[in-house]
This record gives sequence, C-alpha cells and structure tokens, in this order.
Amino acid sequence: MKRTVSILVALVLVLSVGVGMVAQTAPKIGVCIYKFDDTFMSYVRNTIETAAKGKAILSVQDSMYDQPRQNDQVDQFLVEGMKSLAINMVDPSAVSVLIGKAAKKKVPLVLFNREPAAADMAKYAMAYYVGAKAQESGTMEGEIVADYWKKNPSADLNKDGVLQYVMLIGDPSNTDAKYRTEFSIKAVTAAGIKVQKLAEDTAMWDRPKAQEKMAAWLTAYAGKIEVVFANNDDMALGAIEALKAAGYFKDGKYMPVVGVDATPPALDALEQGYLLGTVLNDAKRQGLATFELAYSLALGKPASTTVAPLANADGKPDPKGKYVWVPYVKVTKDNYKAFK
Amino acid sequence: MNEHSLAVEMRGISKSFPGVKALDDVSIQVRPGTVHALMGENGAGKSTLMKCLFGIYRPDQGSIEVSGKPRSFQGARQALDAGISMIHQELHPVPFRSVMENIWLGRYPTVNLGLFKLVDNRRMLRDTRALFADLAIDIDPRAWVQTLSVSKIQSMEIARAVSYDARVIIMDEPTSSLTELEVEHLFGIIRKLRSEGRAIIYISHKMEEILEIADEVTIMRDGRRVGTYPSGELTTDLIINRMVGRDLTHRFPPRENVPGEIVLSVEGLTSANSRSFRDVSFELRKGEILGLGGLVGAQRTELVESIFGLRMVKSGRIRVKGEEVRIRDSIQAKRRGFALLTEERRSTGIFPVLSVRDNTLIANIRRYVNRIGLLDRRRGNEDVQRSVELLRIKTPGNDTKIESLSGGNQQKVIFARWLLTDPDILILDEPTRGIDVGAKYEIYSIIADLAKRGKSIILISSEMPELLGMSDRVLVMCEGRATGVLDGKGATQERVMELATQFMT
Amino acid sequence: MSTLARAEGPRRSIAELASKNAIVLVLLGLVLVIGAARPSFLNPENLVNILRISSVRAIIALGVGGILIMRGTDLSAGRTVGFAAVVAASLAQRDDYASKLFKDLPMLPLLVPVLAALGVGLLVGLLNGSVVAFLKVPPFIATLGMMVIVYGAVSLYVDRPPMGAQPLGGLREDFTNIGTGDTLTIPNLILIAALVTLVTYVILNRTRLGKNVYAIGGNPEAAVVSGVSVWRNTLLVYAFGGLLYGLAGALLAARTGGATNNYGQMYELDAIAACVIGGVSTSGGIGTVGGMITGVLIFEVLNNGLVVLGVSAYWQQIVKGIIIVAAVAIDIQKYVRKR
Repeated sequence: MKRTVSILVALVLVLSVGVGMVAQTAPKIGVCIYKFDDTFMSYVRNTIETAAKGKAILSVQDSMYDQPRQNDQVDQFLVEGMKSLAINMVDPSAVSVLIGKAAKKKVPLVLFNREPAAADMAKYAMAYYVGAKAQESGTMEGEIVADYWKKNPSADLNKDGVLQYVMLIGDPSNTDAKYRTEFSIKAVTAAGIKVQKLAEDTAMWDRPKAQEKMAAWLTAYAGKIEVVFANNDDMALGAIEALKAAGYFKDGKYMPVVGVDATPPALDALEQGYLLGTVLNDAKRQGLATFELAYSLALGKPASTTVAPLANADGKPDPKGKYVWVPYVKVTKDNYKAFK
Repeated sequence: MNEHSLAVEMRGISKSFPGVKALDDVSIQVRPGTVHALMGENGAGKSTLMKCLFGIYRPDQGSIEVSGKPRSFQGARQALDAGISMIHQELHPVPFRSVMENIWLGRYPTVNLGLFKLVDNRRMLRDTRALFADLAIDIDPRAWVQTLSVSKIQSMEIARAVSYDARVIIMDEPTSSLTELEVEHLFGIIRKLRSEGRAIIYISHKMEEILEIADEVTIMRDGRRVGTYPSGELTTDLIINRMVGRDLTHRFPPRENVPGEIVLSVEGLTSANSRSFRDVSFELRKGEILGLGGLVGAQRTELVESIFGLRMVKSGRIRVKGEEVRIRDSIQAKRRGFALLTEERRSTGIFPVLSVRDNTLIANIRRYVNRIGLLDRRRGNEDVQRSVELLRIKTPGNDTKIESLSGGNQQKVIFARWLLTDPDILILDEPTRGIDVGAKYEIYSIIADLAKRGKSIILISSEMPELLGMSDRVLVMCEGRATGVLDGKGATQERVMELATQFMT
Repeated sequence: MSTLARAEGPRRSIAELASKNAIVLVLLGLVLVIGAARPSFLNPENLVNILRISSVRAIIALGVGGILIMRGTDLSAGRTVGFAAVVAASLAQRDDYASKLFKDLPMLPLLVPVLAALGVGLLVGLLNGSVVAFLKVPPFIATLGMMVIVYGAVSLYVDRPPMGAQPLGGLREDFTNIGTGDTLTIPNLILIAALVTLVTYVILNRTRLGKNVYAIGGNPEAAVVSGVSVWRNTLLVYAFGGLLYGLAGALLAARTGGATNNYGQMYELDAIAACVIGGVSTSGGIGTVGGMITGVLIFEVLNNGLVVLGVSAYWQQIVKGIIIVAAVAIDIQKYVRKR
C-alpha cells in the first residue's frame, strides 16, 4: 500500500513538471503522432512544439504505429478536457471512430499528414485536415527525372528510347508510398517518355534495407538500370551507397537517383552530386498550419492559418473548406541551398 | 579427543524449508583417515546436512568447523577451496560437453598469454588421462558426456570429486547406478583415499556396503541424529531398527486385500527406445499389489510410463480385462481406468503454486463443468473436502498453495486427484520418496485400503522393506528385462537383489 | 564406450557428417539453386556483396549467440546496434556538413566515434548482465525492457534543437571508408567480421569464460556445485555481446553512410533466428561459432537471392519464415531422441 502511494506521488510529480510551465489561461491541445521515429513527423512535431510555446499547453503522444493505442490516447485527451485535438493518424481508414469521439464531446479535430476519406470528414463539422497532396510528391519526383532525361540523351544507356527503372517502395500498405510509386511514373510518361519497370521492392523506408535491395538489383540487372526511384530520401541514400560500392559516381559513371523529403543528409548528397533531386514535403509549414488551425479552433475562433488558404478536398480554395493543402517543393542542385 | 584432529565438525545444525523442518539440531564429527557413513531413510536429512557442509544451503543455526577452523561457506566455490569436494546424489553432468571439460569444470588449466589466458586443452587431456589411469577408470576423456551410460557418468563424477585433492570427500549415494564390480572398484579407491589420511563421508542406503566400508556410522531419522556408532557394533537389523525407530513388524499396516481375477496382462512389451526395456510380460489381478523391484536403470519407470502411454512402444500386447488396448497418451490411459503417480513429485506431480483444490481436481476437471460450460464450484469443493477428510490431508485450507504442504501431504493430494478419476489400476512410482516416516505409514494405509476395495496396484519402490512389506508379489527387473516374479513368502531381500543384478557384470 | 564408437566410426561417418553439417548443406543447396535459376547471383561481386552485408549481421549474431548458449537471450541487441550507430554517426559528421548534430564539435580522431559506439554497446551489455545476474530478472524480460529503454534513449539523443529528430548524414570519408573501403582488395567489413569471428571462436572454445558459458547453459546446477561464478560469467557474456553490438552499430553507420533512430530495429530477431538456424539451442549449452556464421549466411543468401530472383516482397517473408522453421527442424533431429 505504502509503496503504491509513493509510486503514485512520484508519478504525479514527474507529470506535473512537464505541464506546469505555461500560464493557466492557455488552451490545452492534445497531439498524437503516429510514431515518433518517423523522421518527417519529427520535423512536423518540432514545428508544432515550437509554434505552441507561450500560446498553448500541448500534450504530445507517441502512438507507436498502433491505432488502438492512439484511440486510447484520444480518449484520455477528451477526459482531460483538451480544447482541440491535432491527430496524425496511424490508420486513416479508422478515422470514423475518432471523429465520433470528438463530435460527442464537441471538441474540434485537426487531422494531419495522413488523409482520411472525404466521406468520413463530412460527418463532423469541426473536423479539418492539414496535409500535402501525396500525388503531388510523386508527380514532382517524376518531373525531375523527365527533365533530366530530356536534357541528357546519354542517360538512355542502351539507346532504346525507353527509360528502364527500379523502384524502392516504402511500405506497400501506405497510401503515400502508393501515390509516389504511381504518380512519379505517370509524370514521366506524361512527358512523353516510354518507361520499363525492371524491378520494384519494398525497403520499409529504411536505408540499410534499401542498400541491400539495390545491391541485389545491381547484380540481377547489371548495366540495365537507368534511373532509381525511391519513395523517400533515406532509401535513395541507401541506394546511393550501394551504387558507390559498385563503382558509380566516379570516372564518369553516374546513376540518377530521386527521393522525397529533402532531409539534411539528402541535401548534402545533392550538394555532392550523388542525388539527382528530391521533393520537399514542407514539414515546417505543415506543422505550422496544423498548430495554427488547432489553436484558433481551441480558442473558439473560426479556423484560420497563414500557410495556405482553406480549400475543399480537391484542392480548390474555399473559405468554408475543411482542408489545408501544404504545397510540395522540388529540390534540385539549382535551389537546394535555400533549404539547408 | 583433541578437537583439532577432526576433519569436519558440525554442531547443532538446523535448517527449515517451507512446510518441513529438514534438520533439527544435528551434530557430527568426522575424523581424518576414516570413512564416516550417514544413514537414514529418504527424507531423514542426510543430503541436506551435506549440502549445508558444502555451502549449497546455509544452515539456519549451528556452526561448522573444517580442520579446526570455523567456516561458513557462501557457495560451493568456497567449500572446494577449503578442501571439501562432493559427489552429488543427483548427477550433474553438462551433457553436450566432453568428459574432461566436465572433470575440470570451474578450474580449467590455462596458459598465460600476457593479456589473455587460454584454456590448455592438451594439459587437460593429459591430466584427465593420468587421473583415470590412477583410478583405473576406462573412459575416453574426449567423449561427449551425453553418449555415456549412467554408470560411466557416475564413475566420472567420482573421478572428479577425487581430482580436487580434497581433505574431505562427500559421497552422496555414489553407487546408485554402479554394478557390483564397479562398487568394488570404488571401494578400492576409497580405501586408498582413506590411507592417505582423507576423510570420506559416505551416504548410502545399502547396508552391506556400509558395513563393509565404513569405520563409523551416524544414523539419522526425521532430520535428527539418532546416534553415531563404530560400524563393528552394528548389524543390518540394528541399523534398520534405529533408522525406522520402531520394529519392522509395525512398519506396514495389516493388509486384508484378496487378489481376484486378472485385470491387466502385459505380453512381450518392448520399448521403442532400444536402450530401454524389452520383452516384459506380467499379469496384475484385481485387488492385488504388485511390487516392481530393481536398481536404478532397471527401466521400471520407463515401463510403467509406456503402459500409461507417455512413451513409445515398439512391440508387445497390453490387455485390460481381457480386451487388447493400444494406449497412445495419458488421456486414453485415464479412460481405460489407469492412474499414474509419477516418481518426480516436484516436477511432474504437483502444480506448486496452485491450490490444494485445483491440484485435486485437475485430472478430472471435466466432470465439474456445468450446463453453461463453467466449473461447478460447489460440487468441486464437496469432492475436495471429502478427499481431504478421507485421506486425512493436513492443510490449513483447500485454497492453500500445495507447495507449502509437507511432502507427505502433497503426495496425499495427488492420491486424491487420481482417486477422483475412479481408476481400476493405480501405478505408484516411488510413492513415499521424500516423505517423513510418520506420513509413510499413512500412505501405506491408503494403498492397503485401496487394494482391499478392489483396486489393482503396481508399486515401484527402491526401498527394499517397502517393496517386500507392501507387495503381494514382486516383479524384479534388471537392465530393461524382467528377471523373475517372487510371491509374498518367497520374496526376500537377497532373492530380489539376486534377480536385480542378474545381467550385471 | 570409446572403443565401441571408434569401431563404428567409419561406417557411420558419411551419414553422420551429413547430419552434423546439415546446415552447411542447406546453405550450399540454396546457393546452387538460386545460382542455377539466376547465374548472375554467382558473380564474384554479388557473393562478395552478400559477405559484406552479412558482416554486420554476423557480428550481432555472434554477440547474441554466446548469450543464447548460456540460456539467456537478448532482445535489446537490435536497438543497441541502432544506438551505437547513431552515436558513432553523430561524432563522425563532416565539419562542413550544414546539419551537424553537434554544431561546434571539432574533427575528432577517427577512433573516437568507433570507441564511443563500443562504449555504448558495452554499457547496455553491462546493464543487461547486471539486471539478469543480480536482480535475477529473466533475460527475456530484462532485455525486453532494455530494448524499449534503449530506443527511448537513442530518440532522446538524436532529437535535439535546433534540427530536432533527423537522419544523421554527412559522415566523414575516412569513417565511411571503414564500412565501404577495401584493404588489400578485401572489403574492410569482411576482414573485421572475420577477425571478430576468430576472437569469438577463441573466447568460446579456448577460454575459461567460453567453457563456463557452455557449462552454465548445459547444466546451471552443475556449474554452481562446481564453484563456477554464474553472475560473473553472465555479466561478461552480456558485456561481450554489448561490445559486439556497439561495433556492429559503428560499422552499420559506416556502411550506409548515415544513421537514424530506427536503425537496427528487429535485428535481434534476425540474429536469434540466424543462430537458431545455425544450431544454437535456445535451451542452452549447444552452439558453435561456425553454426552461427552459417546461419547468418543462409539468412543473407536468402535475402539477396530472393530479390535477385525477383520474388515479390510478401512472398519473400513467407519463404524466409518457412526456411527458418525448416532449417531448425532438420538440424534438431540430431538431438531429438525417442522417449
């Protein structure tokens, strides 16, 4: 009994240290991140936390890639009387349950980064979404490649007029991964270039795995691969390491590799001439938009953000819309310095 | 006597375990250059006393002096360093390692390479060969222990204990798996050690061995010392008398069972394991107690476990009440009216942290499922209570964890468990091992009563008096073969031993 | 006994040799089957590449292997590799790299990041060993807890302002050279792994620690009554394992030229699986260095071979799972005795 009490006291103390900093009048906002070890989401989270300083009391939870855990966290937020919620869902298709919970307590809900179905969004007037059009990231990746292909005829190694490529997929069950895979190739074909897929495989967004897959492909398709697409930069960098080991990037041997995210190591690789290009999913502006939206709603004001106008699900501006679309940015050798 | 001439002196040692007081104010004195035997029934506290000396257990009370110096060992390492080595009753080989690595475990010879020390395999081999040559033991030092027979492993353990060059060597049942010839060999080694001035503490159940090799005998009973005697003053009867504490005639309850028709007949049963039993035949009658005698390694446990469906059989026939049966697992065995009380009560009998109630009902739990699929607590409780009263199980309550009961009462709970399945044939594998003498009598009474009520019983026992005192007939096995059946009057200790060692060289 | 075994020796030898080396045969079989289907698999570059990738995995497996033999387990191995990789990477970033984790960190001697990684591994190993040896927490639970703790620690380490959690890149050439370069035409990674294999072999077979590990794993009671210090050996084995994870982490960072806080995730399961495939018994006392290495090679040949064959990602998983169970089923037959 005594021990239980002392453990409880200790817990309360620890928890109160984390909370008691901000003035009591600031609204409380609950934030869930689908998992903390996702690099991109860490940027978003950091922006949200920075933006909230002095304005709101945040409770930021790690959902550890576990939707049931996130549901429990949201329940806890509602019990604690959060004024608004900013939720980065683990599984966007399970959103109706969360929307139901928030609607019941009339707490505004800002979903971000992982897009739920429009039909679910329609169920609750105070449900908003902040994110980027995942298709757009794939499209931009494809445009970078198409641009390069047209400017460098020597990129067509076997001179057959067809672009032979390999694709490193993040996680096949992830919609971003699907869109990037699909729309990057669509953009290339839209530019009038014929393509042939040599291989595609999943490397789970992971750099060592991508390195291993790429090394195997270099064996299986020696000299045939003309372009490497990767769903994110970590995998692109893994592929680059495998290419380096196979003798690329010296003595004029080059391989165009593209990724998404514009992480610092990717920008570095751009600078050094390894990476052809990447696409910035603007974490800072996404985090800022998420916070501004959740903050205005928590104060009971109309939804507003300085990042981009409110829009509808298709991307058309609409003052009554429930979507904020944060644009992607192409990053290549020409403009990378602006993002460092 | 000058105290400092003693090799070991233990004074007023007491040690308790949950539910049982294992040692109660025990003192012994062992002189160098002698063989000091420790005798007593199972559970008398001999092994516990020696584990206290060897630092495996810490006594609750009492003091220990070795060669005149007060000692309180915190573990085997310290005891070994102080010049005490021990052959353990339970053999302790490391199976997938070589013989020599087992011998030198904990003190491998090394060569120093400055920063590192490497184990000197060549020296280890040489030393092991020399040791085995010295003791005239014929084992390849490089063989894997897993491939050795039990008696070879025991020889290895003996060599190991000797190799420590200890002043005091404890031998806890060192001959349990040895043939007569090997025992003689061991005695030769012991005499040599004795002549070198070492003290041997020798634990054994075998009277003849004790009378042959021991200089002094300390007899223990129920965790206490009965007395210490020069072996010249002792006879088998005297030892038994003092070990048991009452006359042999009253050790067993009167039996009023009358064997009837044959309920089980086994013909030419042969194990699937070629090293186990073969071609065993016997019959068991209704209301009969059939003893199963033999030495360790006679494959008695393997035989009954095969009948019970726990082990694979290659050939042979089993008939229950005239009907040929094929039993593949314990569920079918139960259905055929068999019950098995296993030898290792701790590891295969009780569920230590479960209650007396659950331990009683577990084999029969289906019977207490009610219409909606839940357990009918009331009906279960009634049966448990009836069993507790019938078998006079001493327990604070039926919800008590069984591990806090004494060994005898644990065994009674297991009896209760199997009796609830209403078996026709009970197989009892060493049912009184590790049980206090008083409780043994109660177990015997239960067995006698069951037989009287028409249950058939197979009783495996390594205790000769128990085997002879409780059985209507005794089937003796040796190295996996049945060597003879003795009926009540013809069964003497000598006849059983003769049959039990028939194939041994 | 011995004479008997010798007399039967020659007759049994071929079958016995096959059964004892079933795992090596499985490996050769896999290589041949994949090579027949896709000859480019047998290219020297590809085989060297498999060895290079296997190197890091082998070092982890050797660390876990000793622990498994002693009846322990280590679920924190993967995360510790990740922690060590991150620490090594953070201390080996180029001066001119814009997003350095430690902005003002001067160029350190090359040895520093490597030693730091070893230190991290050693620390985690010692903690694991202490919890198991002194607090008597079952290894599964102790290292499960440590796995979670280490992940928290690495995330804390990498998630610092102004950049926040980020992949660590921009590693120095001389550092990445450890993982990507050659010495005398042999990849450094393979040389290092070979050295570690040799050292582990000597420790397990020729030192007291090794023999004690086998004894404790084979029969803890026997070790206790023979005066073997169980806590001391437990501590040492976990510490040695930790040291190897630390090394593996540094090499992984060097090989991939970067690190993130989810490096090493689930590597412990791959390592345990590789050990078990290689004949290490999870109930202790059995296992050889050769077996562990063979297990790792089987794993990586599969990983690489299935990609080269163009097997879809989902089928790769299914095939790998089947091979794990099948390999162990084949291997365990030599220990299964009829009751």
